Amino acid sequence: MYGLLFLFGHYTEGMWQAAALCAFYAALGQAFNVFLGMTGYVDFGYVAFMALGAYGMALTVANLYDVAWLGSGMILIGLIAAMVFSGLLSMVVGAIALRLRGAYFAIATIGVNEGFRFLLEGIKLWGGSEGIIISSKLRDAFGSDGASRLSTFWADTFVFLTAALAALITLLYMQSRIGYALTALREDEDAAKVMGVNTTKYKIIAFITSASLGGLIGASAWTLKLTYVFPADAFAIHYTVEAIVIVILGGAGTLMGPVAGGILYAALKYGLGVTFPGLQLLILAPIIIVIIVVMPEGLIGVLKAKVRGTVLQKFIV
Amino acid sequence: MSLLQLEGVTKRFGGLLAIDNVSLEIDSGEAISIVGPNGSGKTTLFNLISGVYAPDQGKVVFDGLEITHLPPYRRAHLGIGRTFQIPRPFGSLTVRENVAVGAMFGAHEHSMGVDAALKSADERLRLMGFYELRERPARELTPVEMKMMEIARALAMKPKLLLLDESMAGMPPKDIDALVQLLKGIKQKEGIAVIAMVEHIMRAVVGFAERVIVLYQGRKMLEAPTAQALSDPRVVDVYLGKELEQ
Repeated sequence: MYGLLFLFGHYTEGMWQAAALCAFYAALGQAFNVFLGMTGYVDFGYVAFMALGAYGMALTVANLYDVAWLGSGMILIGLIAAMVFSGLLSMVVGAIALRLRGAYFAIATIGVNEGFRFLLEGIKLWGGSEGIIISSKLRDAFGSDGASRLSTFWADTFVFLTAALAALITLLYMQSRIGYALTALREDEDAAKVMGVNTTKYKIIAFITSASLGGLIGASAWTLKLTYVFPADAFAIHYTVEAIVIVILGGAGTLMGPVAGGILYAALKYGLGVTFPGLQLLILAPIIIVIIVVMPEGLIGVLKAKVRGTVLQKFIV
Repeated sequence: MSLLQLEGVTKRFGGLLAIDNVSLEIDSGEAISIVGPNGSGKTTLFNLISGVYAPDQGKVVFDGLEITHLPPYRRAHLGIGRTFQIPRPFGSLTVRENVAVGAMFGAHEHSMGVDAALKSADERLRLMGFYELRERPARELTPVEMKMMEIARALAMKPKLLLLDESMAGMPPKDIDALVQLLKGIKQKEGIAVIAMVEHIMRAVVGFAERVIVLYQGRKMLEAPTAQALSDPRVVDVYLGKELEQ
């Protein structure tokens, strides 16, 4: 499915940006869904993991750009650093915040996001509020053609790949003990514990997975594409809200939900932005509200209920 | 050595003394009924055994290991399975998947992968005459079916001790008899100790239990073989009230 979207964007004149936007939102939803969809916990600080991924990539490029023999291996190291950064933060946050439930968890995670941003700005870590700008360093490392190819083509391609990776991991989790443990604890955490499920362990697994994928998105869709990171942009909470909307639109806890939700959301936002410039959000909001009221289970959730007991059941997951 | 041992267990909720210095011992393969009127502390006792709460005082020992402060999932791994008074199914999962969760994460030496667990869930459901419902999402079951599913789910954990919390409440007498027969068979075949908590279905107590423990206002009022316990004047008092003095 992501392959199709990639090919469509790649071979249709002028559609690359639109396809890349769809992929960004689908990837965001897919990565977020690993945690929200499978555990039912809402992480309002999710964008902090994307931001840390963005910083992981930016710091790698900023420090390693003059190491000639690394070549494009530097980008690989950057992606790994992105996952490590966001993974580590999620481990710390998860170990503390996942002991809280429901709204308390959501509030604690907002605090992490805002706190981390002010910490960076306050102690002037990693460039402080000026952020890190890597455009000239990318040119030094890859030449100006290479650098522009990197930010106009490869950055988006990495987002496609991250979306596909997130989908693959979701599928693997769903079919394994992890998926059963997560579904059980989402449905009834106390009952799951009594049945022998180490709920904290499985929540942390899902949390770290989701955060690391978020880090990859931040590293590719922000740092590589825009060639800079500013704390005010990277920690912008509206990305978290968009992730929540996408997952709910498509169907939380389903494999295909985030793709459907991501594409629908991107198409609405992009399409309305072109046809009603300036008014797009005013029109988008009521449309989303209507969809959620009519289909509380999300697009795929509704479809899943429709095909239950038919041959299509296996294909809508 | 007994399978489960409670020593002077006490649990308070604010000013309410829910369980007051209760000690008891259960052997492997025993069938026990805990009876007592509403609010006598039965569910609290179950929560203390399965690890939902830790006691304020006293000790809980299971299979030679002190478990007083172990979390519920560790106790499940050691072999304690339970059902809930108000069924708590994993609603979006099918009956078969619910039971498979029990097999997957239950007692440690028996815990298994997804495929094996689904297979064992099928066997368990067939055994309980429940097989045709296996693809039904658990939330669509009737309350009585949910209770049966919870028993299947707890049994799939391969427990050494099974705690049934009012599992027979609301069932027609014919189903109670069938369930009692089924439990007796399973108990004999798998050597599980079963503690059934019953509020007032004497049919289940008489048919099933070898020993009865009566709880009253958080205390153990009586512990005796079934027939003796049910004819004890104090038990009659608790249930029916004292005879009017002439």
